This record gives sequence, structure tokens and C-alpha cells, in this order.
Amino acid sequence: MRALLLGRRAATAVLLVLVAVFVLGPLLWLAAHAFATRWTYPSLLPDGLTLHWWSVVLEDAQLGAAVRNSLYFAPLTVLVSAVVCLPAAYAFSRFDFPGRRLFLVGLFATNAFPKMGLFVSMASLFYGLHLMNTVAGVVIVQFVGTVVFMTWIPAAAFSSVPRALEEAARDAGAGPLRTFVRVTLPLALPGVLVAVLMSFLAAFDEAQGTYLVGAPVYMTMPTEMYSLVLNYPKQVAAVFAILLSIPSVALLLLARRAVLGGRLAEGFQIR
Amino acid sequence: MSDARRRGLGLALALPPVVLLAVFVGIPVVLAVGFSLGHVGGLNATIARIGTDTRVATSWWGTTQAWADVFADPRFVRDLVVTVGVTVVSTVVVVATSLGIALNLRLRGGRLATAFAGLAVVPLFIPVVIASWAITTFYSSDGAVRTAAALVGLDGPTWSYSVTAVVIGSVWTSLPFATLMASSGLQAVPDAMIEAARDAGASTASLVVRVMLPLAAVPVVIATTFTAIGVLGQFTVPYFTGPNAPSVLGVDISKYFQSFDRPQESVVMAVVVFVLASGVGAVYVGTAFRSAQTAGRA
Repeated sequence: MRALLLGRRAATAVLLVLVAVFVLGPLLWLAAHAFATRWTYPSLLPDGLTLHWWSVVLEDAQLGAAVRNSLYFAPLTVLVSAVVCLPAAYAFSRFDFPGRRLFLVGLFATNAFPKMGLFVSMASLFYGLHLMNTVAGVVIVQFVGTVVFMTWIPAAAFSSVPRALEEAARDAGAGPLRTFVRVTLPLALPGVLVAVLMSFLAAFDEAQGTYLVGAPVYMTMPTEMYSLVLNYPKQVAAVFAILLSIPSVALLLLARRAVLGGRLAEGFQIR
Repeated sequence: MSDARRRGLGLALALPPVVLLAVFVGIPVVLAVGFSLGHVGGLNATIARIGTDTRVATSWWGTTQAWADVFADPRFVRDLVVTVGVTVVSTVVVVATSLGIALNLRLRGGRLATAFAGLAVVPLFIPVVIASWAITTFYSSDGAVRTAAALVGLDGPTWSYSVTAVVIGSVWTSLPFATLMASSGLQAVPDAMIEAARDAGASTASLVVRVMLPLAAVPVVIATTFTAIGVLGQFTVPYFTGPNAPSVLGVDISKYFQSFDRPQESVVMAVVVFVLASGVGAVYVGTAFRSAQTAGRA
């Protein structure tokens, strides 16, 4: 019995190592390239270590502009998305109105059309509306990818706030706005934060649409990444990849508990 | 507040994102479907002029000529098969892995099980561009896998720029969402249910198949459909990790538009992916609605 138990633990441990290599291996391998002078196959270690590639990236004005653009557009998109979508999320959760189900499913259905195909005909529309190479155009193209997160997850979060609590606040004399700000919003906040996080990642990560609408005026980090991979040494792209991961990893550490706690999963059940 | 006013207010609050998506996604989709059927007027005029071999509508509803062109191309048929194959294999691997991780977490728990779940969520926070490129470097001819194999005197496989790498990349990027859905679904199965089944003499296998999976069906179906839809239309992962030929449709859409200057054919392919994804999406909507009804919320 003990041998069996030990065997099972060993098997689990081996599996864990495999999953760890599968998930983390590529990231660590890439990250190591950022500090390598050269890396000759089949050597397990790089030929030498250097910080040279970091100065290449940090001194490149074009790449610096991409970093600034990314840090400008993604938060702006999240803000716009929150302003537009959070009231809607509240309505989906607390009001019954004609077309409610249809709208919810419709917002989801927009994800079914392949983005690349969408952009082909989106281009015509954006030219017609003079949105090409404008801040508004880039924000709109990134906004499209955030809507599902910013409506569905907060709607579930609002729904999980017991109505009795809101009614109690109303009975105690609080107005609807005060009830929302003091009771509903604080309780729904973890879900809203997960939505903000997912929207940020979606906006920050968006490359094809941003390229189509923004290039060559507004290049962001992911759009630069495409040309970097093709035109620069592997190490430069590795440095850039590390820089590009910093905001998301920082957010991961901040919101780990809420995401792992099932807030994300809860958001995708139709109510 | 009266019922009518509540309904009006709810509708007013819900409309802004709906209207924005209707304009910036809905109109392009309608334009795309129209263009694929040969409607080259209005906003489609520019794209029709710059494209080569654009088929023009011959009747009021259009023409199927562009569709016929695409389906007559053996490369397209091959790529369609590859796309569906990659989607099915990736989805099966993702759902099986995430269920394994979630079941392990629910039934056995402990530090190891939590570590599994934590690892599986990491890709959620890595931009897809980086993930795809990291995977390409890891499995390339001078990558980590071959380096490790060479250390022990083996000739390791080169998976980069192959369909295998596309599957690896798809699984990598889809694993977090599926794992989160599966674990939240299985965590929601009450302890009392599991204990009752065990007391009645159920083995672990029958406990999982007869009790736990049926109770977690909705989140698992959601995980499956999201994964399948995501993989069907993806561009970045196959663009970096995959071969030039055969390529998946997400890459073909971009190639036919940008490199081959055949926007109409690229739009036909986009509509094909859309139809496939809608089929998968319908399963999700159906399941979710049924569960909402049984829960008395409909």
C-alpha cells in the first residue's frame, strides 16, 4: 500500500515536471537569450553573458516610442471600455428588458468571426470614417476585444451581490446611487477587477488590428514585436519580450487571488 | 420605479456597447459576407478595386463564384482540413489536461495539485506574440529540446515550423482558460455528493464520470467551445510557429489579402471560419440556456 502511494506521488511529481517544462520552458529559454552574447547549438549554456542587447533596445528611439504607445493605448482603452460597458453590465445583471439575452449572446458572438477576416472589411469602414492613423481608431480596434470581458464578468459579479443587502440599504434610507456606491460596487469589485485585468491584457496584446489602423504612426509593443522577430538578432527580440511581459506579470501577481478564485470562470455563465 | 421605466433604463444602459459592436464588428461582418457574394458597391468599392479576380454579383443576392473559386483550390481544402484537425486535437488535449488538473485539485488537493493549477494559468498573462515566438525558439533545430536531447546523445525532434508546433502553441495559449473553467466547475460540486457516492461504493472512475462531470457539464462545455473557437480563427500562434504550407485558415486569410492580393477569397475563408465557429458557439449557447432554465433563472 505504501509503495503504491509512493509510486503515485512519484508519478504525479514527474507529470508536474513535464507540465512545468511545457509551460515555463519556452519562456525561460527565451529569457535566457536576452543575456547571451551568442548561443551555439548544442551547447546547454550561452557562449558568454552580456547586457549589450538591453542597451540596444533601450537606446532605440523607435522601440522606446512603442513602449510609450503601448502604455498609453492599453489603459486608455480599458478606461473607455469600463465607461461604456460597466453600466451595461449592471443593466444585464439587475434589469429585465427586451433583447437582454439576445444582446448578451450577440456580444459573445462577435468573438466567433476571425479577427483577421474582420480587419479586411473593417479597413474600408475606418477609411470611410477617417479613423485610420488616429488615436480614436486604435482605441476602437482594441476596445472590440475587451467588450466580452467588460460586460460578462462584471455582470456576473453584480448578480452575485445579494439583492437583500441592497434592499436593506434602501430600507435604511440610502438612495439608489448611494446603495450602488456603498453596497453593490464594493461587493462586486473583485469581479470588476478581473474584468479590468482581462481587458488590459486583451488591449495590450492586440497586434493585427492595431497595426492595420495605427501603423506607421502608432506602433505598439506587440506590433513592433512582429518586425523585431524578423529583422533583429534573436537576443533583441528576447529583451523586448521580457519588457513586454512586465505589465502582465505585475498584474498577475496583483490579481492572482481573484482570477484563481473563480471570478473569471463565473463570468462566462449565461444568466 | 415602474416596470416600464426600469425596462427603458436597462435598455438604455445596455445599448452603448451593443451599438458600438454593431457598428465596428456587425457592419464589417455584413460587408464581408456581402463581398464574398460579389457585392462590390458602397464601402466594398475600394477593396474590390485593389483586389485581383474579384467576382461581381450576377443576381440580386449575389454570386457563389468566389466561393466556388476558393473551394476548387486544393490548397484551401487541404488547409481547411488542417485547421479543423489542429482545432480538434488541440481542444481534446486542452480539455483533457485541464480536467485532469481540476480533478486532481478537487479529489486529492494538496500542494502538488495547487502547483499544477497555478502552472496551467501562467500562459494567461503572457502576450500571445511572445508565447508563440518563445515556443518557436524552444522547439527549433537549435532549441532547448534538441539541446537537451544532444546532451544525452540523442537526435531530438525539430517541431518548430510544423503543424505539431501549431498544436503545441494552441494548447499552451488555451490551457489557462480551460483550467480555470474546469476547476471552478468541479470545486462547485458539493462535498456531500462526493461522500455519498463514495459511501454507496462508487469507484473513483464512476464517481468522476457519473457524478462530478455531469454536475460540472456547463463550465466544461464553455471551456471546450471557447478553446475551439479561439483555435479555429487564431492567427498569431500559427503565423510564428507553423509551416508555410500547409497553413491554417487564420494565416491564409492574411496571406490571401496582403501577399496574394485576393481580398475576396480571403473574405470567403473568413466567412467559412465564422460559420464553423458559429456552429461551435451554438452548442455553448444551447447548453448555457438549458442550464439557466433548470436553475429556474430563465
